Amino acid sequence: MNNFSILSKTINGTVIFMPKGYVNDLGAENLEHACEEFLSKGLKNVVINFSEIQYINSIGASIFTGIVQKIAEHDSMLCFTNMKKVHSDVFEMLGITRHVKVFKEEKDAVNFLNESD
Amino acid sequence: MVEKKDITRLLFSISSLADLGQEVTSAKSFNDRMKTALYVVTGMFSVPKAALLVYNSNQQRLELLTHKGFKDTAWTNIHVKAKHIKSFSKNEPYSLSKIKTNSFYNPDTAALEKFHTKTFIPLFAKDEFVGAICLGKRLSRPSYLQSEKNVLKVVANHIAITLHNSSLFRRLTNKVNENKKLYEDMRHIYHDTIQAFAAAIDAKDRYTRNHSYRVAKYAVAIARELGWKEKDIETIDVAGLLHDIGKIIIDSGVINKGTKLSLSEMSEIKRHPQVSYDILSKIRFPWRDLVHFVRHHHERMDGMGYPDALQGEELSDGVKILAIADAFDAMTTDRPYRRKLSLAEALHEVKNCLGTQFDSRISNVFFRVLQKEINGETKKAQILPHFALDKGFDPTVITTLLETITAELSA
Ligand SMILES: [Fe+2]
Repeated sequence: MNNFSILSKTINGTVIFMPKGYVNDLGAENLEHACEEFLSKGLKNVVINFSEIQYINSIGASIFTGIVQKIAEHDSMLCFTNMKKVHSDVFEMLGITRHVKVFKEEKDAVNFLNESD
Repeated sequence: MVEKKDITRLLFSISSLADLGQEVTSAKSFNDRMKTALYVVTGMFSVPKAALLVYNSNQQRLELLTHKGFKDTAWTNIHVKAKHIKSFSKNEPYSLSKIKTNSFYNPDTAALEKFHTKTFIPLFAKDEFVGAICLGKRLSRPSYLQSEKNVLKVVANHIAITLHNSSLFRRLTNKVNENKKLYEDMRHIYHDTIQAFAAAIDAKDRYTRNHSYRVAKYAVAIARELGWKEKDIETIDVAGLLHDIGKIIIDSGVINKGTKLSLSEMSEIKRHPQVSYDILSKIRFPWRDLVHFVRHHHERMDGMGYPDALQGEELSDGVKILAIADAFDAMTTDRPYRRKLSLAEALHEVKNCLGTQFDSRISNVFFRVLQKEINGETKKAQILPHFALDKGFDPTVITTLLETITAELSA
């Protein structure tokens, strides 16, 4: 759990999470809880910036699966940015990216969300 | 042909299985271990909603152990009688529509639907019903590929055994003794899966079908003759099965090329031990020396090998074993650019390369194993079966040859 932390900021009603470190145990569930808390406030757009994520294993993938589900239930929008190829390959295989908008850079996602509002 | 997506799936499955092995035996509390196990499964197959149930045989019902993606207030225990248990296939995934046709399904089991179950897996440790996994809808495709079902079965077996060995289960079933044997079975299951992955690696190279499988067998036979401990033998076995995993990212056109390779193609192929190492070192395997053996399987005694040009005693025994097992199988199978050597020719070749490519002491052990197999002194021959059906194969010729070589070596 010491290997994982989350930074977050809000820009125009969009929350941007930047998880840092290893997404490989139940400690990473904090990211799911943070998303839930944000959604429960009625806010809609979530961006997750992957640039500081070192490693994602199956447990991490499960947590992201949970986040995708929560976002869908709240009829909200989820964007992933700055993904490494290994991560996007795995997420694509798992069908996770099918439910998410993927952008190269964080600012691309923020622009997209601003325009679509 | 192996596709990129299959490779991603393969590696993700291997590493997830390693995660599972690590998690279920970790020092965490039982509940955390089971919750983590459920997360591994749901992550492997991208299932947002799932539950792990334990069977209370005193009450004849499935109870909720841990879950993910919904509120447990929706849960009601499911009654399952002995006659229903008999009808289940062990650790086999059932679709909801199929489970509905089973006589155990009734209004009471509708809890499964409330829990958004799409796939139901009855968990058995040996013959004992211990619980079930309920998986909801997947984020990817709705059904499971056959290969995914196989992996799912391994995972279910793993979880079933952990559950069976827990004190919770013993309390629910009035059992006292832990069954050590089951844990051993679990290692076999894990090992079988790795063997299946090895087959996928070999499929990339049409000339080396079953290469990894044979390298593992040869290496194990040598290590056993050297008196290695079981745990270390297991390490070299898995190293044999996975040593060429790096080849899956190398262009198969290069691997299967029938003509002489260019310098750049050569260096492309030479990357594979490093790539194997990079892939495997990310996986939390229970075998410490595995990645070291894999990385160095193309090193040579004279320092002309790769990737690190190790020399002489810088090569560990495991590396020396894997190097000879690998090269020997390469010599004795057809390659795109040459036909295979006969056993006698290959033994000559090994002899000629002693001290330069191969270590003499380890090679000697290899010769000894082969001789013992010819004499019928081993429980099960590992090397000989690959040659016994060859045209012109004559055990007496090989025996004479081995005697000559060993005499020369000791002189
Ligand atoms: Fe190799």
